[in-house]
Amino acid sequence: MAKSLLIISRQAPWSGPSAREALDIALAGGAFDLPLGMLFLDDGVFQLAPNQQPALLQQKNLAANLQALPMFGVEDLFVAASSLAERGLDPDGLGLPVQVLDDAGLTALIDRFDQVVTL
Amino acid sequence: MSILHVNGRDIALDKDGYLVELGDWSEDVARALAERESIELSADHWEVLELLRQFYQEFELSPATRPLIKYTALKLGADKGNSLHLNRLFNGTPAKLAAKLAGLPKPTNCI
Amino acid sequence: MSTLHVISRSPFGDNRLASCLRLLGPHDGLLLCGDAVYALNPGSVTVAGLNTLGPRLYALAEDLEARAISDTGATAVDYPAFVELSLNYDKVNSWL
Repeated sequence: MAKSLLIISRQAPWSGPSAREALDIALAGGAFDLPLGMLFLDDGVFQLAPNQQPALLQQKNLAANLQALPMFGVEDLFVAASSLAERGLDPDGLGLPVQVLDDAGLTALIDRFDQVVTL
Repeated sequence: MSILHVNGRDIALDKDGYLVELGDWSEDVARALAERESIELSADHWEVLELLRQFYQEFELSPATRPLIKYTALKLGADKGNSLHLNRLFNGTPAKLAAKLAGLPKPTNCI
Repeated sequence: MSTLHVISRSPFGDNRLASCLRLLGPHDGLLLCGDAVYALNPGSVTVAGLNTLGPRLYALAEDLEARAISDTGATAVDYPAFVELSLNYDKVNSWL
């Protein structure tokens, strides 16, 4: 049985490579059938904001790529409620079907994966 | 880099034979690309190419094998969304070859 | 399952430490290295909260010494001890 991996993505989408790198790990792992989860934390929650237009910044559409996660077998998607609340994002208006977790839920989530990496 | 001649137009291909400009794709280009791979496109091929272009429009990336199978099963049913059917159509490397013929970039998460 | 969280960024311009403390489990450990050891500076706003972790708080000795931070509540560890420490936890979460 392959070890499960939780990828914590905590960087905003358009300001650096981290958000893209976290997604690439998830897509690559998913393509090879690894048991994966992905958690959006801190500024990473901005990746889930609806109606973004990265073409204006000459960037690839990370938000569209994120939609492919379930197709790559990555269906365990989570977001930190506190990160959303701090940033004024509505948990019901996100661009991806994610489970919203409170802080205790985050601790329990990290606990149940074999490995964790935070980008 | 190489050049594909289709209907009097020069279409640029990268070193692996994928379109450099995704906008260059047409059905004639797909036929010409398939010919280079010794494939004659049947209705079964076309519906998968159509599906791949739809996938790219939706997700803006090329699927690896697993998501290609899953997406095909979702849209065309399990009798077509399986590795046997797709391998048979696309010489055993459906993600790479079908993406090439559909005018998509080379999938990045493939062996 | 226990996790050793590893942070290397200063908490005074970055929220990794704050986020980590929010989701730290009761059996988890925290190791500070690099500029993250500034969080242990006596009198800083971060140090009191960190000291409540007691024996679950570690810092890389050479990073403390290089920055002249002493008398901290953290257990100072050298590299061999860091390796041993990581083996005492089920997994290591590096906050890259």
